[in-house]
Amino acid sequence: MNDNPTSTNVYTVSDLTRTIKRTLEGRAEFNNLWVKGEIFNLTLHSSGHIYFSLRDDNAVIAAVFFRYANRNLDFKLKEGMNVLALGSITVYEKRGSYQINVSLLRPEGVGDLQRRIEMLKQTLLKEGVFDPARKRPIPVFPRRLGVATSPTGAAVRDIIKVALRRYPNIEIVIAPAIVQGAEAPVSIARAIEELNRPEYRIDCIIAGRGGGSFEDLMPFNEELVVRAFYNSLVPIISAVGHQVDHPLCDDAADLAAPTPSAAAELAVPLKDDLAGEVDYLHIRATNAMALLLRDFKARIEWVLSRRVFMDPFEIVNRREQELADMTNQMLFTLKDLVSRNRNRLLMISDIRMLMKNILTGKKNSYTLAIKALDQLSPLSVLGRGYAIALNKDENVIRSVSETAAGDVLKLLLSDGSLQCSVNSIYPGGHHGKEKNG
Amino acid sequence: MEKKKTAKSAADKADRIDFEKALKQLEEIAAALEEGDLGLDESIRKFEQGMRLAKFCREKLDEAERKIEILQKAEGGKVAARQVEVDGESGEIANEDDLQGSLL
Repeated sequence: MNDNPTSTNVYTVSDLTRTIKRTLEGRAEFNNLWVKGEIFNLTLHSSGHIYFSLRDDNAVIAAVFFRYANRNLDFKLKEGMNVLALGSITVYEKRGSYQINVSLLRPEGVGDLQRRIEMLKQTLLKEGVFDPARKRPIPVFPRRLGVATSPTGAAVRDIIKVALRRYPNIEIVIAPAIVQGAEAPVSIARAIEELNRPEYRIDCIIAGRGGGSFEDLMPFNEELVVRAFYNSLVPIISAVGHQVDHPLCDDAADLAAPTPSAAAELAVPLKDDLAGEVDYLHIRATNAMALLLRDFKARIEWVLSRRVFMDPFEIVNRREQELADMTNQMLFTLKDLVSRNRNRLLMISDIRMLMKNILTGKKNSYTLAIKALDQLSPLSVLGRGYAIALNKDENVIRSVSETAAGDVLKLLLSDGSLQCSVNSIYPGGHHGKEKNG
Repeated sequence: MEKKKTAKSAADKADRIDFEKALKQLEEIAAALEEGDLGLDESIRKFEQGMRLAKFCREKLDEAERKIEILQKAEGGKVAARQVEVDGESGEIANEDDLQGSLL
């Protein structure tokens, strides 16, 4: 340690940097080393050189991938991608920075991912997610088709095109989904879940995307997506374009198609085929019925050829005789009944006569009794020519002494009354002399 | 309101399986008539039922109306279906740039 600067122990920046450069670049382990990390700050320069950084959770290293080296790159570099880089450490003096000069780049974790997929597959297999017994048949006739995919990709266009060609009046409901990258799994699962809502009345779902690299298809190997296929209540067809390894969602779906177009072919029937099927069954039923009718007609003709139909009057004649017999029998019975009851009927009329006589006798006695009663009434006495005299107070006058000359009397006759004045009074008998005053 | 909805979707569900059911019944009737073991009355009854089923199936086939809808998230996070025009030849959705890419 030397605390004091002298002419010999002070570096220029260039000298120091050159020393660092020599030290780093001179070490064998910094040449042609493999390093893995995530790409960020990716710049595809117009010169053809590629600049980016590699990072992990704690550190960052700059990387340069020159045009002559990146010429054979066989995959598309993307931000966030994990890669394996072969290269050597170099120091860029002008910026005082070190970097890795990349000569070869590979997508990292392909091996890791495949191990992860295999592990997930085993877990889900044990759970029964891939159980072939739970796979449901795809409906023969889906009136409303659900599609979970990107609304702008080739997949959605292929599905629409094929579906409309096969069934021109089909109804399609598209649930948009991001089909690659970090957001894809949750987005695809969400789209499938949404299409399961009963108000959309979806008969069958197609979920997937067009073909792509292993990484592109990776979301369809994610547990979230595989489970969304498994949990779909609506029958679901997986439609992920692939050549070699099929994604895990294929095993959880009710049906797996190698491409979106193939999925649409499987999901949507040819309308003409269905109409043809209906026509075919219609014709079969009609022909069978025509045959049956011919059969029944033949049987009816055979029955009609029997005797009863050939000589129908035989039975009529027989019945007619029976009818005549029965009529005679009935008439005889009726006559017998009438004659037996005739005597009883005569007796009954005698009783009526007797009753009539009795009643006539009673009526006569009654008339006589009424007449006798009439004789006793004072009114009938008047009828014989007598009169009753009443004073002005309507009291009966029994003696000439009860009256005086000039009194007004009332005489009751049998059919009315008279008002009279007393002129003279003659006491003593019917023809007495006039009494004086 | 909720009840009505349930009833409607249940009815709709019954409606949907009907095409397949009707086609299956029609096939059974055709087979039964071909067997020829039924009486005249029963045969005529089955035949008439078969003719009704055939008519029903044809009506079902024409019932759906060509319609393409895309689900989009409206304000408040509610998802609603929006009808879109498509080119039948290419399957391309008109104005696809205006569409949301996901329901997230």
